[in-house]
Amino acid sequence: MSTSAKDAIRRRTVLSAGAAVAAAGVLPLGLVRGAYGATGTLRAGIAGYNVINTLDPGKHSLIPEAYVIWALFNALLKFNEKMEVVPDLAESFSVKDRTTLAFKLRKGVKFHDGSELTADDVKFTIERLQSDKYASPNKGKVSAIQEVKILDPYSIEIVTKQAFAPLLAFLTNARTGTQIVPRKAVEAMGDDAFARQPIGTGAYKIKTWKANESVSLVAHDGYFVKGQPALASVEISLIAEESSGVTALKGGQIDLTSTAPFADVPALEQDKSIKILKQPGMNCRFISVNHRKPPFDDVHFRRAISMAFDRSAMVKVVLFGEGVPSHGLIPPSLAYAYDPKPRETAVFNAERAKAELAKSKYASGFGEIPCLTWGSSWWKRIVEVFALQVNQTLGTKFTVEVNEANTVFQRQKSGDFLASVWGWLGPVDPDEYVGEILSTKGWRNFYGYSNPKLDELAEQGRSELDLAKRGEIYKAAENIAIEDAAVLPCFCSNIHNLMTTQVQGFTQLPYSNFGDQFAAIRMG
Amino acid sequence: MSPRRRQLLARLAGSFRGNLTATVGAAITLFVIVACSLGAALMPYGPDHADFLALLSPPSLSHPFGTDSFGRDVLTRVLYGARVSLVVSAAGIAIAAALGTSLGMISAYKGGGADVVLMRFADLLFAFPSFVLALFLMVVLGFGTINVSLAIALTYFPIFARLARNMTLLVREEPFVLAARLMAEPTPRILLREILPNIAAPLIVQATIGIAFGIVIEAGLSFIGVGVQPPTPSLGVIMADGREYFQRAPWVLTMTGVAISCALLGLNLFGDGLRDLMDPRLRQRAQQ
Amino acid sequence: MAAPEREPSLGWLRRMYGGRKVAAPRSLAYFAGRLLGAVVTVLAGALVVYVVMKAAPGDPALAVLGENARPDAVAAFRHKHHLDEPFAEQFWTWLSGMLRGDFGLSLTIAGGIPISQLIAARLPITAFIGLYAVLIAVAVSLTMGTIAAVRRGRAADTIATSIAVLGISMPDFWLSYMLVFAFALGWRIFPAYGFVSPTESALGALYSGFLPALAIAAPMAAVFSRMLRTSLLEAASRECVVVARSFGFSARFVFLHYVFRNALIPYVTIIGLQIRYLLGGVVVIERIFGIQGLGSLMVDAAFARDYPTVLACTIVFLTIVLLVNLVVDLLCMALDPRRSA
Repeated sequence: MSTSAKDAIRRRTVLSAGAAVAAAGVLPLGLVRGAYGATGTLRAGIAGYNVINTLDPGKHSLIPEAYVIWALFNALLKFNEKMEVVPDLAESFSVKDRTTLAFKLRKGVKFHDGSELTADDVKFTIERLQSDKYASPNKGKVSAIQEVKILDPYSIEIVTKQAFAPLLAFLTNARTGTQIVPRKAVEAMGDDAFARQPIGTGAYKIKTWKANESVSLVAHDGYFVKGQPALASVEISLIAEESSGVTALKGGQIDLTSTAPFADVPALEQDKSIKILKQPGMNCRFISVNHRKPPFDDVHFRRAISMAFDRSAMVKVVLFGEGVPSHGLIPPSLAYAYDPKPRETAVFNAERAKAELAKSKYASGFGEIPCLTWGSSWWKRIVEVFALQVNQTLGTKFTVEVNEANTVFQRQKSGDFLASVWGWLGPVDPDEYVGEILSTKGWRNFYGYSNPKLDELAEQGRSELDLAKRGEIYKAAENIAIEDAAVLPCFCSNIHNLMTTQVQGFTQLPYSNFGDQFAAIRMG
Repeated sequence: MSPRRRQLLARLAGSFRGNLTATVGAAITLFVIVACSLGAALMPYGPDHADFLALLSPPSLSHPFGTDSFGRDVLTRVLYGARVSLVVSAAGIAIAAALGTSLGMISAYKGGGADVVLMRFADLLFAFPSFVLALFLMVVLGFGTINVSLAIALTYFPIFARLARNMTLLVREEPFVLAARLMAEPTPRILLREILPNIAAPLIVQATIGIAFGIVIEAGLSFIGVGVQPPTPSLGVIMADGREYFQRAPWVLTMTGVAISCALLGLNLFGDGLRDLMDPRLRQRAQQ
Repeated sequence: MAAPEREPSLGWLRRMYGGRKVAAPRSLAYFAGRLLGAVVTVLAGALVVYVVMKAAPGDPALAVLGENARPDAVAAFRHKHHLDEPFAEQFWTWLSGMLRGDFGLSLTIAGGIPISQLIAARLPITAFIGLYAVLIAVAVSLTMGTIAAVRRGRAADTIATSIAVLGISMPDFWLSYMLVFAFALGWRIFPAYGFVSPTESALGALYSGFLPALAIAAPMAAVFSRMLRTSLLEAASRECVVVARSFGFSARFVFLHYVFRNALIPYVTIIGLQIRYLLGGVVVIERIFGIQGLGSLMVDAAFARDYPTVLACTIVFLTIVLLVNLVVDLLCMALDPRRSA
């Protein structure tokens, strides 16, 4: 934010506005920092978060960390604007057989420290993620990999134990942690130092990082894409309050935001001075229920609850219309695996809900059912509107219990809950939704849901390499899970980026991308 | 009721008429209390009555403060919320007053090591920025209505302890206390019957101002999401909700803020007036 | 608190503080004693905070590793940061480091960065905003309070007193939103968000800090004005003033030398009392405007279970508050005409 006030002061000198002009009049121009120019800097705001713990891709786990890492690093692959997997650090890739992927690396790719990317760095990156000592939260993305074979400095083969369809998606520059790091620098610096002074191949390299405040990036001259990056520097500010992001953008203190508060979207769409990008996001929001405990051990009860609330009302109240009701976990933007036909047990139907409740073990009532939530914003509203509607329809006694996000997560993992709101933002492969959330051994399945038929389908989906067939498998799997009311899906929300009209070249992707676009941005 | 206390009350009532500040403050406070205890029940809506067809409608005749993101009537919620805020704050201050006064009195009366420890502890609490202390307590205790009261109580406790102690130190040597001691009255009796009535005035004023303080703390905590939790409406909860869509529906935050300011205005005026009435020096001057 | 310290009435101020047995001769020994007491208080405070933090649920490992954390990663984190050691041992490690002037490294919110660096970056910001707000409040209250006292009972007094009561009745964070709405989004005179650290640009800090400082100053100005009015009135009714007037000194001279000077003592005391509000009470305002103050640091750290950072903030807070109290006492002594005469 350091240049913001000065910028505003300058703006004031043009607008003749009372007292401020007097202040601006005495402002020596020397105070305006040299590096700052109309086209030189992008001021990007990450709104709604102010904590970044690490900038080491392998260690990252929070979305604001990913936002920055995407600008600093590249992975072997990336998603293009149609969400197809295309080469990034790889020049090309091919499927050699069911368990082997072959990559040719680009030549002459330079890390920020000037060293050149080779196959050895790729091998190092993957093996580092796999090592127990390193204890990466992203280990799961590479656990299927058996071996990384170096054929020559620019050719490698990645071998998996069995056919593993999600691997391509897991090697992209998304929330994967598989961004390529330089072996020499990491080994010389150690993991901790690297996390603070990361060295990647990205269009921008790190200059300073102020905890809870900002991250400054400067252009990486040796970036491998010709003509990029267009801007000399990027100032990323961490804005704790999401609504303050909009205020900052409208007040002229930043040029681009990572998100926008749902409520403000219609007004912002009318605002000619602001560009807004939006599309259905890759995320799922649901009420998770504990299958190990009554009353959710009864499928009839679960179904009754699932049919007792109107998801479109929820979209209106919680998202102010910025999303779509969902009847499964896989979002519409994963089109090949998304089934547009509504599943009955995830659609509001008061009559059927009551009938199911009557069939359940708890027809005569069940005391209070606390539903966990957290935060100060819309996560609370999801539960509030859920409890309100279900209680109205069925006469149940759902209550809202608010904790910190960490506590909620911990309680879910330890099974110390009955119901809780939960969701995932940014998974890019259907296996992350179905295999990881719904299958018996899925690491995101904290709910004790288990159905052998679904497990079998999830296994098939993981090894099916044909996209269309794979999609059908996941549709069938979701039919089973929703029929069981394994979780109660609520909605899939839109993602937004706000920018001033000067910002050109930002391509929004549904997994809520951000820093990866800095390379292409120019200020018009 | 002892004659001394009756006399005090009579004197109070007498001078009350002459004190405009206290009267206006009492009137506003009374209005606020009546509004949120009776008025809430008179509203045609319930605090949780959601109308999904009237989300975020601006102030109108049927909804004087407009509606919120659930289509709930904001005025109704403010009335219910003010009740919650008042109770939470009053409960916290009551705990602080009871605890602080009794400990302060005992430690002043007894003196010795316990006195030193208590005063050190009070000083310690008093040296903390109170909002940070309250916030810290919420993080530690967990969010929720009861814990807000506890946080208010802990932050306000040292003020009562210190006040009660210092006042007791002064009164302790007064002839009527000495007389009671000579008559071998038991200590609790002396504390309750002789000392307390004589130090009550500043404590009452402090409590009035404290309730205003507690309302602000509650609002602040709930505003950043760690205080009272929805669906229970409190003034802070409503403001926190309104803040999220402030640009789209500014009335929710604005009107709630106006309401809270009114309530605090009443309490503050009342406290000021009471203080002027009860402070002997000022009263003397007023009578001159 | 989200509201400034309220002023006690003069009579009570004297009785509350005068009730102490040690009140009268404020010798060197007295101040030495107070310094010692302060050190004990700071250490006791740190211990209490440490115990409470540890007893509370929550895990720094989860705060860092986030929702995707796997058990092995959590265990590795705990071991690396000695969180698996016994409580007393952890506290001792921390305490011995602290006594050598080493606050240690941040655990979660700025993983691995020295805490002293975090505090050094934020202290000037908190100090700047606090001083800025106090200056505004003093400027306003000197005018308002004096006018109200001089014009006692007249329209000007009523208006000034009413504004002051309104000032303390508006929650400061609500006022912030109203100010942003009016002056940043409506009128576009001041920036709506963001704060330039005074270490980077003094003018930028003055400009970008104006709205938050104003929101913080408003309730303080109200309290100060009321205090000044009351104490001016009280000082004016003193015998020495009557005597001085009867000696034929000019009204102006008497006002400045007897009335105003006497009235300044409680005024300075009440300003000193605001230090707690300025350090921590403004957290919500800091969030609204994106100011990276000390209060926010402690709150963020508490949320993220960053134990050493919370402790360091505790120490800094307590030290500043106790030091300021001491300075205020010294100032009041210097102001007391009976002593300096």
